[in-house]
Amino acid sequence: MTTTIILVLISVLALASLLWLAKGRTVSANILQNPSEHLRAVDVEAFRNLVDPDEEEFLRTNLAPPEFRRIQRERLRAAVEYVSCAAQNAAILLRVADAGRRSSDPATAQAAEKLVDNAIRLRLYASLAIPRLYLGMILPGAHISPTRIAESYEQMTRLVVLLGCLQYPTRGISAAL
Amino acid sequence: MTVSFVLSYYLWVAPHLLLGTIVFAMVRHRLYRQFPMFFLYTAFEILQFVVLFAISRSHVHFGVSYVRAYSVGLALSTATRFGVIHELFRHFFKRYPTLDGVGRYLFRSATIFLLLAAVGVAISAPGRGASLLVNTTCAFDRTASVLQSGLLISLFLFSRYFALSWRSHAFGIALGLGIYASVSLATSSIWLHLGVFGNRALDLFTMATYHLCVLIWMFYLLRPERATSYVLNPPPKHDLDVWNNELQRLVQR
Repeated sequence: MTTTIILVLISVLALASLLWLAKGRTVSANILQNPSEHLRAVDVEAFRNLVDPDEEEFLRTNLAPPEFRRIQRERLRAAVEYVSCAAQNAAILLRVADAGRRSSDPATAQAAEKLVDNAIRLRLYASLAIPRLYLGMILPGAHISPTRIAESYEQMTRLVVLLGCLQYPTRGISAAL
Repeated sequence: MTVSFVLSYYLWVAPHLLLGTIVFAMVRHRLYRQFPMFFLYTAFEILQFVVLFAISRSHVHFGVSYVRAYSVGLALSTATRFGVIHELFRHFFKRYPTLDGVGRYLFRSATIFLLLAAVGVAISAPGRGASLLVNTTCAFDRTASVLQSGLLISLFLFSRYFALSWRSHAFGIALGLGIYASVSLATSSIWLHLGVFGNRALDLFTMATYHLCVLIWMFYLLRPERATSYVLNPPPKHDLDVWNNELQRLVQR
């Protein structure tokens, strides 16, 4: 009896999550109506500074261990914020580029294809980087340098600009990044 | 003739007639090329319905032969549904080659994990029906439902996390199958617990769910694919300057 009840509850939960996930599709479509409004500014240089091993080493040698751990945790928390913002921007740009892939202009379609590829990579890196950053918060001594995120984000920004020039509707987005 | 009798016949016949419309639309719009397994599934469902309906109208009625035919049909239908899910995964990751490797890994890992969970459930709650055939059929249906709903939720979660867009046809197929698999998990578990084949209320609920799923498939497969469009306000002048600066940087690299 208990197993049956648990399975019925799981099926209700499965159904609810399926409907919730399906509803997310409509929400994403709404974001596409005005993507630049949903994009958040990300300072790549500031992020680089936060995860720079040299900077970390400098703080380690110049601060008392408890102070270093506290500061390092703060820095990594800020880095998580940056990565989350970049990943969120990537998700929005992915939707914009996805629509651009169907363009009849080969240059636009190619730029959009590259942007899709880059945005997916960034989300992949972000999914790997965030747990590492949290691990760094728990163990402030561990070396963590998710610089690929910064490189990927910069590359993505350049592609957005290129796509923006090729395709009229994306204009305005580059300024928000 | 009671209302529930009429309703049960309606819920049994109507979805299969609608499936006929889907098959026709798929042939007309050549969608069977994109979704061959789903096409096979809908065609098989119609065939299964014709066979079962014919058996039920014969002297056998809903006896042992009907249960046997139902069990065989269910096994084949479930196998085809797995084919449809695999097709959805393939169709989805073909659009995003960057995620192909990750997608394969996800599909395999999710299948292994869900299979272990379903086998665990099958061992812990084998059912208490007197008939071995009914027990086996329901246990099989429950195991398949765990796997199918789990796989479809994984696919939806994956697409949600990476903000990937679905083509509306594939989305409709996945949504319909997901709803059906989730409800099947509950009904097969209750059937297995009760140990009897067929329960009027449960049957009506399952059939109504299936009807809803067929309507979802119809809605998404019959309407034309919607092109994503978005409108932005004209950019202020400084945006153009940013573009120019960025492009200059791009060219100089």
